[in-house]
Amino acid sequence: MREAGQVPRHNTSIVVGSVSIAVAAVLLWWLFSTMTFVIPAPTDTLGRLTDLIQQGGYWEHIRSTGVAAAAAFLLSVGIGTILGLLLGLTSWVRHIFGPAIVALNGVPKIVLYPVLLLLFGVGGTSKTMMGLLIGVFPVMMNVAGGMQSIPPIYRRLAESLCATRTQTFFHVLLPAIRRPFMTGTRLAVSLSVVGIVLSEIFATEKGLGRLILARYGSGQYAEMLATVILLLVASFLVTFALWRVEKRVR
Amino acid sequence: MSEAADVHINDVGVTFPDGPDGRPLEAIRKIDEHIEAGSFVSIVGPSGCGKSTLLSLVAGMQMPTRGEIVIGDRRVTAPDRSVGFVFQEESTLPWKTVEENVSFGLRLAGVDRSEQRRIAKEMLQLVGLAGFESAYPSELSGGMRQRVAIARTLALDPTVLLMDEPFGALDQQTRLLIGAEVRRIWRDTNKTVMFVTHDIQEAILLSEEVWVMSFRPAEVVDVIQIDLPPDRDSSVVGTERFNALFGRIWGTVQGEAMHAFHVLEEGAGEGDRHHSRT
Amino acid sequence: MRVTDITAVPEATELAGGRGSRRVWWSRLPPAGWTGVLLVAFIAFWQTSAVAGWVPAAIVPRFDEVVLAGIEEIEAGLFVENLASTVIATVAAHLVGSMVGLVVGVLFWRKESLGRMFEPYLVSFYAVPLVVFYPVALVVLGINDWPIIILSTVMAAIPMALNAWNGFAGIPPVYLRLADSLTASSRQTFFQVAIPAAAPLLYTGTMLAAIYALIGVVAMEFMVARNGLGSRIRYLYEAFDNPGMYFYIVSTLAVSILLVGLLNVLFRRAFPRVLAS
Repeated sequence: MREAGQVPRHNTSIVVGSVSIAVAAVLLWWLFSTMTFVIPAPTDTLGRLTDLIQQGGYWEHIRSTGVAAAAAFLLSVGIGTILGLLLGLTSWVRHIFGPAIVALNGVPKIVLYPVLLLLFGVGGTSKTMMGLLIGVFPVMMNVAGGMQSIPPIYRRLAESLCATRTQTFFHVLLPAIRRPFMTGTRLAVSLSVVGIVLSEIFATEKGLGRLILARYGSGQYAEMLATVILLLVASFLVTFALWRVEKRVR
Repeated sequence: MSEAADVHINDVGVTFPDGPDGRPLEAIRKIDEHIEAGSFVSIVGPSGCGKSTLLSLVAGMQMPTRGEIVIGDRRVTAPDRSVGFVFQEESTLPWKTVEENVSFGLRLAGVDRSEQRRIAKEMLQLVGLAGFESAYPSELSGGMRQRVAIARTLALDPTVLLMDEPFGALDQQTRLLIGAEVRRIWRDTNKTVMFVTHDIQEAILLSEEVWVMSFRPAEVVDVIQIDLPPDRDSSVVGTERFNALFGRIWGTVQGEAMHAFHVLEEGAGEGDRHHSRT
Repeated sequence: MRVTDITAVPEATELAGGRGSRRVWWSRLPPAGWTGVLLVAFIAFWQTSAVAGWVPAAIVPRFDEVVLAGIEEIEAGLFVENLASTVIATVAAHLVGSMVGLVVGVLFWRKESLGRMFEPYLVSFYAVPLVVFYPVALVVLGINDWPIIILSTVMAAIPMALNAWNGFAGIPPVYLRLADSLTASSRQTFFQVAIPAAAPLLYTGTMLAAIYALIGVVAMEFMVARNGLGSRIRYLYEAFDNPGMYFYIVSTLAVSILLVGLLNVLFRRAFPRVLAS
């Protein structure tokens, strides 16, 4: 049985290993593409992607998705933090709304998208709202949960040092939840992006999701796959970066 | 350096209306004591007897149900910066550096930045952690973290210093060393100190006066003057005088501890005392 | 030197440990009760605003119309058919995903460096991004149930793997040393010490697996599928059948809550002391 040992931190072999996994995945992809004609090879896909990026029309879709995702993310973090603080600090809000919110947390909120479409039409607003509805939950739950897990000693310390309520909030409570907050933010990124892409696949004017569906329908699988890979890689990079920052936080 | 204040605990009692079994719980029956300015008083007694509650009362973090506490000429109704409190648990804030932790109280009080830094440095020097200003608590040992907490408390220059089993989580060697430090700081700064501990040896080594508290409902059962030399060190342990003091204190504490043991064993919540005190 | 004026007894304010603070009015109803109140209030508000015309009927139909449409769907057998499709796929994905996740979690616990190499991917593909792979899976596997089941199984396995790994890694080493000192075999240590010790996080992992399996299944049905609650919503949307669509939206939300709630209850019945913390 393993002893309580050291955790390898920025170990080079780990990094090499992670990269090898990505390389192996690409190799598997390439192998797969030789066996079936519907899946284009990695090189073809990459080539197709570089072609697409140079087309103005493609950028319209990227921008539509990107702007909606960014807006949904920022709104999720802002509103989620406020709601989370409210939940975490006020016992009556928790008592009355708590179970309902926890229940709604585990629900596929994408099914509400048609309602948003009816309310706001097929433009960018409805999908941004969808991204917000989905992305607000991890932030809210993590902030609320973080608030409740603050060791009581911190509050007693602030009390013994005669801190005002405002001082306690800004100097002790907020810093104390920085880790859960970061976790919530990281989750909000991928959830908002996915919320928006799913909405686009369902119905929208412009966006990468719509493009994916269209190319699927017309059998242009190389472009479809190129766009899927673009989305996955972008989402991966942002989430990975946030995760690394999160791990450094004391 | 502010003048030490004396502490008057006037006929104080604490009863919680809703105890664990639903009936009122009398935590403290009656404590009526007086501490001269600049003295070092230790409080010993069995676990759960109300020592920490007493300290909370003096700190103003809890209110007695009967009686009052007066420090100097101020009646205690709320926490005050002139009373410093060192907690038993880890109380350093992990996201702040050592220096920021020490100056935290000053910052809350609105003290100017450069002054904060100056005082923090001085306090860290006092507790023997000079040079650790930019370290984070996670990089320090438990003993060092408690010293940071002590430095933080001293930074506000309180007239009364309350310490609630501050070395409870430390090993004996560290306890002896830090204990000696605390006594040295006390002799240099001449504050009034109330020091709660379960370690009788420590109580004798550090203080001038030891109170033995009974199990709940708490009262001060015995007050022992420690007439060992002021410049004592750990070599005094095992001397005749030391053993006599230890024997006397332990005799009383032992009785209370046995009582506590039986009460908790029986699950009785009444807090009635079944034997007479000597 | 004693100060003699003893003033009136001060009120005992928030005494630590006392539950004796006055009962606030809102705490008289337990949280579950309040949830019921919210639900009723919501439905009442819905019906009122639809009837009063605050929201056009073309956007939000009346609640009673939605109920009627629902009854029709149930009588036509469509509701049960689609419900079954979604539930079966979800349960399958949850079970297989939990098992796979557990195995992967154990693997990463025993071979930590392997786990660290995969960790960035597990973390980044956590919470849903894999659904965008659905069209690709459809291309490869065809329009049948496999793409949904396979993808949602993976989506369920990821949170289970991460939580299981965390759960096992967090076992106090002294427990394992104890097992060792009692000459327990690996199998005994695993089932009698490791699993119970990691149980709270294993529970979290499997609950998340259920949630993400469900979200994945419904989301994919919602995109493109032959049947299932998600696909029925899409169909009714495109057919401009608002009452029917709303019925399915509400039912899907209700079914999700019930499924997760049921799982929660089952767990607490089966392992009551596990979640004592």
